[in-house]
Amino acid sequence: MTNQKHQFDASPVVVEDLAPALRLSLRVKPAHRETLGRALGLDLPTRVGSRAAANGAEALCLGPDEWLIVAPEGTDLASPARAAYADAPHSLVDISDREITLRLSGPAVLDLLAACCPRNIAAMPVGAAARTVFDSATVILWRDGPTDFRMDVWRSFAPHVRSLLTQVRTEIAAGL
Amino acid sequence: MLLIHCPYCEDTLPELEFTYAGEAHIARPADPSALSDDEWRDFLFIRTNARGPHYERWRHIGCGRFFNALRDTVSDRFLTTYKAGEARRPLTNEAAE
Amino acid sequence: MSRYRISGKGRVDHSAPVSFTFDGKTYRGLRGDTVASALLANGVHLMGRSFKYHRPRGAVSAGSEEPNALIGTSRGKGQFEPNTRATVQELRDGLVTESQNKWPHLSFDIGAVNDRAYMLFSAGFYYKTFMWPKSFWDKIYEPVIRGAAGLGKSPTEVDPDRYASRYLHTDVLVIGAGAAGIAAALSAAQSGADVTLVDENAEMGGSLLSDPAVQIDGKPAWDWVEAQLARLRAAGVRLMTRTTAIGYYHQNMVGLCQRLTDHLDNPPANAPRERMWRVRAEQVVLAQGALEKPLVFDGNDRPGVMLAGAAQTYLHKYGVKVGDTPAVVTSHDSAYFAAFDLADSGARVAAIIDTRDAVRPDLLEGARKRGIQVLSGHTVTTTKGRLRVKSVRANPVRGTHVGAGRDIACDCLLMSGGWTPSLHLFSHTKGSLGWDAGSNTFLPDRKTEACEIAGAGRGLWGYEAVLADGAAAGLRALEGLNRAGHSAAFTVANDRPGTGVTHTELPTDGNPGKAKAFIDFQNDVTAKDIRLAVREGMRSIEHVKRYTTNGMATDQGKMSNINGLMIAADALGKQPPQVGLTTFRPPYTPTSFGAFCGYLRGDTFQLTRKTPIDPWAEANGAVFEPVAQWRRAWYFPKAGEDMHAAVLRECKATRASLGIFDASTLGKIEVAGPDAVEFMNRMYTNPWTKLQPGRCRYGLLLGEDGFIRDDGVIGRLSPDLFHVTTTTGGAARVLTMMEDYLQTEWPDLDVWLTSTTEQWATVALNGPNALKMLKPLVEGVDWDDFPHMSCAECTVAGLPARLFRLSFTGEVGFEVNVPARHGLTLWTALMEAGKPYDICPYGTETMHVLRAEKGYIIVGQDTDGTVTPQDAGLDWAIGKAKKDFVGKRSLSRPDIVAKGRKQLVGLLTEDGSLLQEGAQIVLDPNQPKPMKMVGHVTSSYQSTMGHPIAMAVIEGGFDKMGETVFIPMPDGVRKARITSTVFYDPDNARLKA
Repeated sequence: MTNQKHQFDASPVVVEDLAPALRLSLRVKPAHRETLGRALGLDLPTRVGSRAAANGAEALCLGPDEWLIVAPEGTDLASPARAAYADAPHSLVDISDREITLRLSGPAVLDLLAACCPRNIAAMPVGAAARTVFDSATVILWRDGPTDFRMDVWRSFAPHVRSLLTQVRTEIAAGL
Repeated sequence: MLLIHCPYCEDTLPELEFTYAGEAHIARPADPSALSDDEWRDFLFIRTNARGPHYERWRHIGCGRFFNALRDTVSDRFLTTYKAGEARRPLTNEAAE
Repeated sequence: MSRYRISGKGRVDHSAPVSFTFDGKTYRGLRGDTVASALLANGVHLMGRSFKYHRPRGAVSAGSEEPNALIGTSRGKGQFEPNTRATVQELRDGLVTESQNKWPHLSFDIGAVNDRAYMLFSAGFYYKTFMWPKSFWDKIYEPVIRGAAGLGKSPTEVDPDRYASRYLHTDVLVIGAGAAGIAAALSAAQSGADVTLVDENAEMGGSLLSDPAVQIDGKPAWDWVEAQLARLRAAGVRLMTRTTAIGYYHQNMVGLCQRLTDHLDNPPANAPRERMWRVRAEQVVLAQGALEKPLVFDGNDRPGVMLAGAAQTYLHKYGVKVGDTPAVVTSHDSAYFAAFDLADSGARVAAIIDTRDAVRPDLLEGARKRGIQVLSGHTVTTTKGRLRVKSVRANPVRGTHVGAGRDIACDCLLMSGGWTPSLHLFSHTKGSLGWDAGSNTFLPDRKTEACEIAGAGRGLWGYEAVLADGAAAGLRALEGLNRAGHSAAFTVANDRPGTGVTHTELPTDGNPGKAKAFIDFQNDVTAKDIRLAVREGMRSIEHVKRYTTNGMATDQGKMSNINGLMIAADALGKQPPQVGLTTFRPPYTPTSFGAFCGYLRGDTFQLTRKTPIDPWAEANGAVFEPVAQWRRAWYFPKAGEDMHAAVLRECKATRASLGIFDASTLGKIEVAGPDAVEFMNRMYTNPWTKLQPGRCRYGLLLGEDGFIRDDGVIGRLSPDLFHVTTTTGGAARVLTMMEDYLQTEWPDLDVWLTSTTEQWATVALNGPNALKMLKPLVEGVDWDDFPHMSCAECTVAGLPARLFRLSFTGEVGFEVNVPARHGLTLWTALMEAGKPYDICPYGTETMHVLRAEKGYIIVGQDTDGTVTPQDAGLDWAIGKAKKDFVGKRSLSRPDIVAKGRKQLVGLLTEDGSLLQEGAQIVLDPNQPKPMKMVGHVTSSYQSTMGHPIAMAVIEGGFDKMGETVFIPMPDGVRKARITSTVFYDPDNARLKA
């Protein structure tokens, strides 16, 4: 998925741009969650911050009636959703272009995040995700491994976030 | 910076993830046109401005939900938080602990 | 070897000389020195001049509480810092330092004339002296005071250093790594808890580093410290030196400022100078120890007079003897050890003057053994020496009688007025303090946070007691985490326990009104200033503080608070606890702005949002303006054009043929669900039920108070789907407001909101040729059924698009939305396709002019949160048949329907001049001042019609059409005629073309 790398040799932190993916914002009331989940072939998790994957698509519960679905580009979830609309009214909005996704990894990645995230990221379980703040930008942070994260950030905020990440990476590389 | 318990995320998180949203338990009248000018004025503008425990609303960026809180305006501490739509929590000693 | 350095002694590296300059002269110090210890090793006590009287001053302490030895330091270009404490700044090679508050130089300072005139400068002199005549204030007093005021000089260059920030979450944060803090960390580090131990000094160990003769568990103090730090490191405890806890905030959030490079000769490239840590700890242990108090007597500020504990620190940590013939004056046992240690290092101690009648036998024995005379029951009445103390006068005291004094020659005077627990951080938590009558000091009392206070910080003295207390505090912190550990015990040999008494000013045989007995060294506050303040009616300690400025200097009264309180209480005839302490506020020590800013400078000073088309604008010479968080292209000047010329060209090109505009910042909200139309009916003033899919409508959003909050064009894409646009600045606010209603008032509705602002890049095309140019690029639109205010999903230039036909210019207009990644592609394609029509890119300024010519309002510019739809002439946008919508009830409130409200009208100046936005409007320019202002100009532009146009809100404006109003400006009064706000094409003929 990686299409661009900015990496120093033996860098304690790596920041990469990930290729675009299909991103959908799904809103549905709890009563219709299961019906719609069945239609989409996804088990929509109910605990905020938990994720479930099936058939290459992944659903993250962001709120009691809100899920973020990420799937490879070209996946058709709109048609099955439309077919279930009468039974399970909902909103499914394509937000693929709203955000860009960065992959943050490396042994010092928790320091990188701790520079700008007030939340205790180290305590976030692997496999969880959260909508939180990075400096003054709202981001969605996915923990894919102990030192492996994805960060979804609204497109227009990306220059600011990247600039901060560069500063902190430089600071970490300085070793103090 | 305060820590706030989000009743939807069931997690205690830093204040920077939250925004204040005014006094709680002020329901919009079902039929505003039935209200007198004075009643409508009170709904719009009159707030308790409590010194001490205060019912108020916050919103969590994480789950996007508005929720209710009982917070002491003297100490700034949150005494309890609960979901939107739930009845006003009583001012018990427990809550004040 | 410097004159006062003891070979081989101290924790400095005697094999590593470091050279630095002070006031242009080069000195040698050692690696591990502070500037103060290195100067003292060279026999330099005179380090600065005081703030008010310009009295010569030397280091009085050896730590961060230092009030006197403030210096300017330069580490390189732009790296000048004023008011650095010489007692904290570590030596680094090539460090350039200078003294402050002196002219022409430190040993001869013209400003010291203030000292002679000190009677004029007593407490409250500002208030008394600079009273009249009024005209003197601007011309004389203010400039003179400004010239003379201030401590040090401000840096004049941009700070080239980097600063960093970090959040840290830890189980136990221990603040202070002296005996108590180390013991606490040892306890807390059991059971795998995450522990952080911080200390403001370069080395951990606290006062143990100044007491090497003490033995703990059979080990000499220094070895013990080293062994325990190794244990802590092995247990995974985070050890942070040069890290000051500057503030203690709610729920155990503690701010730490870590100094990373100021002590390094060659800092690593790109390393931050300082890092601000925002620590959230489950448990905090405060082990900050105690600060020694000066005694208050005439001449207690002379260079060479310093705290006894500081002399002991200089001796043991830095191997520096602060003098050859020290004298000691004390009211506490601890000073004896300083005297003994100095004597054992070869100094000839002239005398120990003890204010107490009875002295502990072992201390007397220690003095006798070393041949030191002890003058118990004595006071000090003055000192002598111009730039350095030469002698001290000791007088016997019998009851209230002060006997005849004798001068004792000395080259330094060590004083101890006892020790004050460091309460600053505890006080930040609003924890209450209790007065301990036994030790005459405040101690921590009721806690508000999950914290423990240990050691000298709660009044304990002697290492055995402090270690046991630290260990217990660490254990309690561990238990607070619901973890268990075992308690530790320590055996201490050669302990140095002690007690003392607390004084007001020391008794004197002279005139107390003439004594220069300093309490606050940095602000030059004397005992008599405090008494004067009380005499002049100050009763509250907060008033005494402000009247005298006691404790208001950069050291925040670390040394002066208790002395000031004791004297104020005495003058008031009250007990100290009835008088109370002033409030301690963060930061604990002066903290650089850089550390607070962290990364938020330069490019990242604040968040700046950029559109997908921003790179094109930048490459094509756009001038940008900030709009909300965005930077937007303001105008696109061609060579030689100023803003006015560029904007006029852009406006005319658009009116004549075709303009193109990046409207991507417009807020967009997808309103979807079976109840979408019901929701729209409730939120917006307009009726939505009859709006057909494929059509758009101008939407007006009010607050519940009836005032305009936002507006925008809203398209209905299908029965259950609305594409809502908002103003650029209102996007987030509107979505939050809608979510609020949906979640808390109407949770029964089946409708959901999603922000799509950034999903779409939006390009606006306007001009008589817009349709002609666009048509060939579009697929999927039935042009026979696509009039003004239509919308469709289609493709434009082969890209999936949502196309809106609408206008914010008065010309035929379109807004093309494509997925954001294609924004730049679309823009380039349209620019290419527009070439035959001389397509002209325009910025926000042209957009403003064109919309103003048509009388279209901008929410937030022509409205200000007090404007109703009626006031703005937008009644037509109200669905009067609707039973309810947000804000409807308020539109019939008495003050909303009252006569005389400010209403939005147009203005044309009589002389064709341009009005200033914000200018106030009056009806009669000849009325006396203050004039009755009836409104103000909200928008004003040069227009395409050859004359400027303006909009304004004016009381009763709709009834004043054609009347003349006046706009008084500094260069004369403008006359303007009230008109309609629609200046251009009032019949909308061009829209329908």
